[in-house]
Amino acid sequence: MNNYKEEDNIQLSIPNKPEYVSIVRLTLSSIASKMGFDIEEIEDLKVAVSEACTNAITHGIKEEEKNFEILFQTYDKKIEITVYDKGKGYLGSNKMEKPDHSELKEGGLGVFIIRSLMDQVEFSQNKGNGTIIRMTKFLGR
Amino acid sequence: MALNIKSNFDLDKNIWNVSLNGEVDVYTADILKDTLSKLIKERKESIKINGTDLQYIDSTGLGVLIGIYKKINVENKQIIVTNIKPSITKLFKITGLDKIFKLEE
Repeated sequence: MNNYKEEDNIQLSIPNKPEYVSIVRLTLSSIASKMGFDIEEIEDLKVAVSEACTNAITHGIKEEEKNFEILFQTYDKKIEITVYDKGKGYLGSNKMEKPDHSELKEGGLGVFIIRSLMDQVEFSQNKGNGTIIRMTKFLGR
Repeated sequence: MALNIKSNFDLDKNIWNVSLNGEVDVYTADILKDTLSKLIKERKESIKINGTDLQYIDSTGLGVLIGIYKKINVENKQIIVTNIKPSITKLFKITGLDKIFKLEE
């Protein structure tokens, strides 16, 4: 089962449409369970990656005919997931802000949730166009 | 997986019972929003969500609940969330929404 001694790459390119995010979750569940993550960790991974995909779809390119990419990199003891969107905006914020409930907002929880559920999160700019979110989760932490 | 929603109004307790079956994500959150909006338009009362068959929810669904909560809370109505999986409880806790909604076993 655990033959992930070196890095293996699995790449998905999915249409910029909400209905495909569940496919990303299914793919991820299968990769993460093969690696040995437990059910709770897999649930965390699913939410974090869906949040990143939701960001790509809602803040990224609006043209539905375009795709965005998700890269899964598996190692012996960790998984790294990178979501590339080609939008105009850059939603990078490397600080962690706890949601303020005196001022309840419908949006904006996504990035906070990603940071809470993953061990490492990095935002960078996609060559001036859009955002790259790279998330890491370690096995057995 | 899609999202199925069943709802009925409990006349004795004056509360909406809403059962969620499936996944609430960026694709299905609008279904939840439309359904709950219709319910509170009909009767602006508290909503009790049964999450026994709720497999998945993320910020898109939490956002819908926040929006509905803001509309009913002006009249002191609540959102009560029951029987959710541990991973979903965790999500309510890390976002602090366990203090806004009532979580019940």
